[in-house]
Amino acid sequence: MTSVIPRQKEMGSGTYTFSSQPRVVQNRRKYRGVQPTVNEESFTYGNIMYDRRVVRGNTYAQHTLPLSAQPDPIEFQRQQEAQRRALAKKRAKELLRPRTPEAVEGRKHIDVQTELYLEELSDRVEEKDMECQTDAFLDRPPTPLFIPAKTGADVATQILEGELFDFDLEVKPMLEVLVGKTIEQALLEVMEEEELAQLRAQQRAFEELRNAELAEAHRLEEQERRHREEKERRKKQHREILLKEKETAEKVAARAFAQQYLADLVPSVFSSLRDNGYFYDPVERDVETTFMPWLMEEVENIMKKNDLGRTMLDMIIRDVVKKRLADFQRATSQDYLKYEVNSQGQEIKSEKSVMQPQNPDTEAKHPELQLKDPETEHKDEILSDI
Amino acid sequence: MAQARISCCLPPNIDPTKSPVAFGERALPKLNEELKDSELITRQRALMALCDLVHDPENVYQAVHLGFLESLKSLLHDQDSTVRQKATEVFYIMAGHSVGRQGILKSDVIPAISKLLDDPVVICRQNMHKTFEMVSELPAGAAALVKANLVVQLVQKLECELEDIQMIILETLHFMLQTDVLQALSAGAVGILKGKLSHPSAGIRRMAAKALMDICVPLEGKETVCQEEVVPLLVHLLQDSDNEVRANAAGALMNITITTQGKYAAINSGAIPKLLALVSDGYSRVRLNSLKALTTLSEAPEGRKVLLADVNIIQSCLDDQSEAVRRAAAIAIQVIQWKP
Repeated sequence: MTSVIPRQKEMGSGTYTFSSQPRVVQNRRKYRGVQPTVNEESFTYGNIMYDRRVVRGNTYAQHTLPLSAQPDPIEFQRQQEAQRRALAKKRAKELLRPRTPEAVEGRKHIDVQTELYLEELSDRVEEKDMECQTDAFLDRPPTPLFIPAKTGADVATQILEGELFDFDLEVKPMLEVLVGKTIEQALLEVMEEEELAQLRAQQRAFEELRNAELAEAHRLEEQERRHREEKERRKKQHREILLKEKETAEKVAARAFAQQYLADLVPSVFSSLRDNGYFYDPVERDVETTFMPWLMEEVENIMKKNDLGRTMLDMIIRDVVKKRLADFQRATSQDYLKYEVNSQGQEIKSEKSVMQPQNPDTEAKHPELQLKDPETEHKDEILSDI
Repeated sequence: MAQARISCCLPPNIDPTKSPVAFGERALPKLNEELKDSELITRQRALMALCDLVHDPENVYQAVHLGFLESLKSLLHDQDSTVRQKATEVFYIMAGHSVGRQGILKSDVIPAISKLLDDPVVICRQNMHKTFEMVSELPAGAAALVKANLVVQLVQKLECELEDIQMIILETLHFMLQTDVLQALSAGAVGILKGKLSHPSAGIRRMAAKALMDICVPLEGKETVCQEEVVPLLVHLLQDSDNEVRANAAGALMNITITTQGKYAAINSGAIPKLLALVSDGYSRVRLNSLKALTTLSEAPEGRKVLLADVNIIQSCLDDQSEAVRRAAAIAIQVIQWKP
């Protein structure tokens, strides 16, 4: 099918000369990757029948303008107008055609293939419309199953039994991948766990030491605190002792001073008191205060009685004297001469009569005379009793 | 020859639950687009694929830079439980890598993910708590968790969660308590942890004792623990069959007995003979912690009197294989034989 153009060098002389050899445009590769370098030497030319530069078909049928013919301006204008009209008509027709409703907000219409089997639309087979008329009233054969036109080239290779697929062999890489991936994941997890476990163990060991040291530090701190407190307490105690000692010393001094001070005081106080008469003999005092006044009083009473008796006697004597005087004067004046011898006896008689009646009288008049000192009476009685 | 029929059977070796991963660099951006898809199945498949991919630190790095965390954050509030499960799982796996943790801290995932604390699906909560635990291993992470006020919520969750989740919460608390204790104390953590000390599961006892050890580090914690009378329980735990439980209980006692109040509480509940028995334990943490506890106990005159008779037991630790134990034993002997 393919024909190879003989190389230019081999052609020797040619009509054309090339700066570079003409070659077919390279098809785009389906996958990206390293483009194989095109070797000028080994380049093989493709089918000339598909070369676009080659004119195909009958050249006589092609419409070519005669070189000499001038384009008629009127004709040209008419043609243009017709063309424009056809375009306008086509646009109007397009506007009138019913369309699918506008796409919802945020979406847009696109053309999709609705067939079950998707085809690659890239390389289209060139089409040409052909018409043919089937024979009338022929039995229509069943529609054959649609088989899309194949693309690409068919290549066939003979494969013998066991040549294509050996399960044991084929499964190996697959299994390796599967097992490898699983083991990798598992190892990752195990390593992670191991790492964590090791970290924990190390942490525990560290914590063991840390806790012990922490406890030791706290213990020492506590010990220090206790010692400090003890020291404080002792200091305080010592201070108190000193204070007390000082106080005691002061007390002793004060006591000594007081004793010294008071030693002279008592005798002096006693002597002054004694001088002031605060100390006395009760018997003496009793005699002084009660017995002596009584005695004096009694003495005074007796004196008074004596006095009274004397006064009474004086009065009586006076009365008697007065009476005797009066009697004497009467007798002398009237009967002086008659009764001069007898008068002497009478006088004694009268004297006696005067004395007798007068005694009870005095006694009545002076009751105090009757109230003799009971003690004296008593004394008399007692004396008489004895 | 090609035919116009399409097979209904999908090719074999393809997991329908996973979305196919694009080749090379395109893989993660494609998945990120799919994560934002409005269709549920696409999101689920993308998450499934992502779960496998983020095991690789390189992928985590790329994911953090591509803004995966933001799209995953929005997926945390998805209606579908599978999506939430897988999103939390992705967070958990990412938190396993340093890059992932830093990314999580930087893009404030913690407040968003902590809204799942009351999620009805167990796996979601579990993955969330695992994420917290991973994040809290970093000091900055623990600080971020404390800052998000999670201490109180986690302490409350301790009472009502499943056992597995309780373990994770206790582990998280362990790290958070190293940052801040006062919040936990005000949330009544000591009472709840005390209850967990007598739990049948060794893991929970271990974690509870560990958390108590952390609580006892500051002075307030020690006082609270003494007031709640946790010391007898801890002394009882010294005879536990589990190594870690013994070590942590001894550690907690070591911290509590620093105060005078704690010393007498421990001596009165008979801690000294039990601690002396642990000095020759096979596990170095137990030995170390019990030696430290004995050291603090011997500072009390009563403790010293008892321990002076048993100094030879501690002297046997002087040629221990662990250097820390040897040093602790030397200090212990020095403290015991101290004379005023």
